[in-house]
Amino acid sequence: MAPPDGRTEPGRILVVDDTAFNRQLLARLLKGLGHEPVEAGDGRAALERLRQADAPPIDVILLDILMPVMDGYETLAALAADPALRHLPVIVITGVDELDSVVRCLEMGAADYLPKSVDPAILQARIASSLARKRLHDAEREAVERQAATNEVLAIMSRSAFDREVVLGAIVRAAVRLCRADYGVAYILDGDAFRVVASAGGNPELDTWERDHPIRPGRDTLVGRVALIGAPLGVDDVLADPDYAPTEGTRAGGYRTLLGVPIQQDGTVSGVLALTRNEVRGFTAADRALAVGFGEQAAIAVANVRLLETIERQRSQLARFLSPQVANLVSSAEGEALLAGHRREITAMFCDLRNFTTFSETAEPEEVLGFLRRYHATVGGLVVEHEGTLEHFAGDGIMVFFNDPSLQADHAARAARMALAIRERFIEISEDWRRRGHVLQVGIGIATGYATMGRIGFEGRYDYGGVGNAIILASRLSSEAAAGEILIAQRTYAAIDGQVPALSVGDRKLKGFSRPMPVYSVGADGAGASADEARELAVEEAS
Amino acid sequence: MTDPAIDPAAFARLVEMTGGELDFVDELVDTYLEDGAAQVTALRAAAATGDIEGLVRPAHSLKSSSLNVGALGLGELGRQLEEAARTGAVPRPADWVERVAAGFDDVQRELLDQRARRTSD
Repeated sequence: MAPPDGRTEPGRILVVDDTAFNRQLLARLLKGLGHEPVEAGDGRAALERLRQADAPPIDVILLDILMPVMDGYETLAALAADPALRHLPVIVITGVDELDSVVRCLEMGAADYLPKSVDPAILQARIASSLARKRLHDAEREAVERQAATNEVLAIMSRSAFDREVVLGAIVRAAVRLCRADYGVAYILDGDAFRVVASAGGNPELDTWERDHPIRPGRDTLVGRVALIGAPLGVDDVLADPDYAPTEGTRAGGYRTLLGVPIQQDGTVSGVLALTRNEVRGFTAADRALAVGFGEQAAIAVANVRLLETIERQRSQLARFLSPQVANLVSSAEGEALLAGHRREITAMFCDLRNFTTFSETAEPEEVLGFLRRYHATVGGLVVEHEGTLEHFAGDGIMVFFNDPSLQADHAARAARMALAIRERFIEISEDWRRRGHVLQVGIGIATGYATMGRIGFEGRYDYGGVGNAIILASRLSSEAAAGEILIAQRTYAAIDGQVPALSVGDRKLKGFSRPMPVYSVGADGAGASADEARELAVEEAS
Repeated sequence: MTDPAIDPAAFARLVEMTGGELDFVDELVDTYLEDGAAQVTALRAAAATGDIEGLVRPAHSLKSSSLNVGALGLGELGRQLEEAARTGAVPRPADWVERVAAGFDDVQRELLDQRARRTSD
């Protein structure tokens, strides 16, 4: 700690003695040794000075014992009871005949003692050792504070990663506190100017001014200079700097000393963290190193927010093309594995329109498109409502899965309920056309079974889809369905287990399937085969 | 001859401590004389009311500053009075205090004489 010439670094020493003679003598000696003495006539005056928030901090206390108002013992007790002051080294000044009191003072927390007939060399040595102790304590406390501030910023970064203002606000607050600044601002490049995103400290007038005045790169401001050079920069006194152009903000804020560090993304300055002090007191190398650290945290925060915004934008863009389930899957952690292909039991629903070909040949193309738009919007809304995965819209045909990629225990019943909802809503949207003689109706097929699900297609054009018997069966049942009919396969009927009414419509021979299959119709009245029978049949079919 | 009111070696040490700045030594001596007069007044007041405990602090202050200006005899007198006052055993306190006051007068005279001698050199 001590410079090579043997003199210690200067400290601010509080001399507490009721005798003016002693105070003057000690003060003079301390000055001669390069320290800055501060005098107090008794313990109470000393405590008042120590607790004065705006006074420069004291490093070491020289304390007389016998004093009026508040003596040395009371002062030591008061210091020990105050968490903000108990670390301050106290050197007790005592007469040679007061060794008993020395012991008592040391027991009460005094660091050292000095005889009253002071020898300058001894005084210097004792002060130096106490100063070293104080500096070590300060360094420790600073390290702990720095760690705590970093942890706090990290916690806020993980909690509010999306909120740039909140994260930068936490960083600026920590920087102002730890670098002992009066005001701090995080500017972020927006177009061609740097704008305030977060600030801490400072008077409201200054803050309003800074927020209303974006800064462009240039020599006339600190932020502008940091933007130009892309490196930390300090201005010890703005009023003495020939290039610096004081603004109304400078006048309102009354700041004199500045420090700016860049917030960089891939080598380009995307922002500046600026700190100001209202007195002319340059930021130290340690302050600068701290500020650079906060600038780096700010850069990470800004990058995180951008990344998250990009992902969110992609997800919402994607959601316009894909079903929300598939869009989420694409941007989720397990997405890649699921897209690569997996086998799962699903319920597939096919829906297409009867008489659509005739309708599209006779109606105007605009009318056909208008109708399709309404039809797709209606069905699309119902798919979202029932949380189905839309596989495709192709003209009048629509295919939806359930239980993939999101798991749904009631996938078969969901599909059946959605089919009923589609049929019901379709009556409303086709009413106009019915009056004009176009009888449009939906035919729906639903089947349940294992399928291999995942990415289907080729580089540049992939779909999320499935391959499996259930999908083919659903498509065949949809073709088989009469106008307004919802046909479901055996396994779907068993899985629905009476939650949605359905009845048997007998066995049907379906294209591509060698033997006739039992088929059920949803939403029809009357009782078909019981659920138990159906389940037995399903087990038979699966085996 | 009795010991001088001011011990030359002790006073020289004070001068040395101030880095030989005689103006500052004069300032310190003035402070000492002001403080000392106040302490003598406080001692007299305490003695007059028989407040033995009230003798402790002024005696203590006078002792420590006297030792620093080289007034070793007065310092010792102060020390004895402080100690006696602490134990509460100060027979005829007014006499005690007057001895201290007389000692302070000698010290004051000597300090001012020294200064006069020095400035007339």
